[in-house]
Amino acid sequence: MGVIVTAIAVLAALCGGAGLTSGLERLFVRPVWEPGPVHAADLRHPLDLPNADRWLLPAGPVVAFAGTALAMIVVPLGSGLIGRDLGIGAFYVIVVIDFVVLGLALAGWGANVPNTVEACYRIIAQLVAYVVPLGLAYVGVIMMARSLSTVAIVEAQRGLWFIVLQPLGFLLYLVTGLMQSYRAPFLEPFAVSIRGGVLGASGGWSALLWRIALAGVLFLVAAIGAVLYLGGPNGPVLPGWFWMTLKTYALMALMLGLGRLVRPLSTAEMLALSWKILTPVGLLNVLLVGGLILLGVRP
Amino acid sequence: MTGTATVHSDYGFVGLILVMTSGLALLAVAAFARAPRRVLDPSQAWAQYRFGYAVYALIFLAFDMEMIFMYPWAVVFTDVGISAFLDMLIFIALLGVGIAYAWGMGGLQWE
Repeated sequence: MGVIVTAIAVLAALCGGAGLTSGLERLFVRPVWEPGPVHAADLRHPLDLPNADRWLLPAGPVVAFAGTALAMIVVPLGSGLIGRDLGIGAFYVIVVIDFVVLGLALAGWGANVPNTVEACYRIIAQLVAYVVPLGLAYVGVIMMARSLSTVAIVEAQRGLWFIVLQPLGFLLYLVTGLMQSYRAPFLEPFAVSIRGGVLGASGGWSALLWRIALAGVLFLVAAIGAVLYLGGPNGPVLPGWFWMTLKTYALMALMLGLGRLVRPLSTAEMLALSWKILTPVGLLNVLLVGGLILLGVRP
Repeated sequence: MTGTATVHSDYGFVGLILVMTSGLALLAVAAFARAPRRVLDPSQAWAQYRFGYAVYALIFLAFDMEMIFMYPWAVVFTDVGISAFLDMLIFIALLGVGIAYAWGMGGLQWE
């Protein structure tokens, strides 16, 4: 019985977090800007696409939604407020969040419309760009926390947050997090020129699930960022869930605000940025953190 | 609880979440079953696309695998100490040479 309640709580936390995210995101969208993942989608009318694949197109939003829900399991929202403290937590998050990419690629290919097939190619290019530098940003934190468990990572920051010890890793996480959540300036897969990509070929229930999954992925990126670098639910006086919510949305606002300061990058520019700058910086960060630990600088 | 039992209970929970998301998706489908439908113009997707990142994708495959090796190393790094650092220094130097080579050969560009 308790298991079912926990599971419902995890899904409710995801849907609530995604709802708040949509609210916050509206503050960062101007009519002249590329909307990206908040591109208009027809929530009232289900869509019939005559040439679409019967299984791939509807599988897309379900797979993406499932990916965000699975990642939500290991996000600690307070002491004891966690779905399950998996032993491989941080690694598990990297893996299951990428189901959002799989879902977008499935739907883009399955819709069989030029705009969505283009979006499918772009979304895979996005994956090729962000995974390696993002993974390297995680590695630095894991070295200091000495564990993959998200609860242990929070516990390791009881004295000092990792943002202080690893500012370079935090900057790397900000940039790659924006890539992972398809927010400006990395919103090519949802560009207006291809009519919002997959969102343009969604309607009714699929538009609803895309909304939850795409807001959910930003919510998760910010929440995991708060866990990795800002001490998660640690904080004085007030309860853990309050600090966790505050840090998550503060980090999200910071990311969205910084992202809008730069002009949107094309897929080619994003790939070049990732492989020529971010990946070498990520490798450097691993060595820097290793050196710091050997010098005795550790939490 | 023993280790195996914990693993079963943890990943049983992951499976439960998966089942419940599928249930929610079915609910969403059912909720819109009677809504008025719209049809999109059936333009064919047989066209040429600019897929200019094939070399990036190949390098990515290599780096993604190599990054996975860093995770177990990162967990035990503090306990092993200086020898783990030197091992990783060589590993990262090799990766750095790999990037430099790909860059020099003109692999890091949109074709």
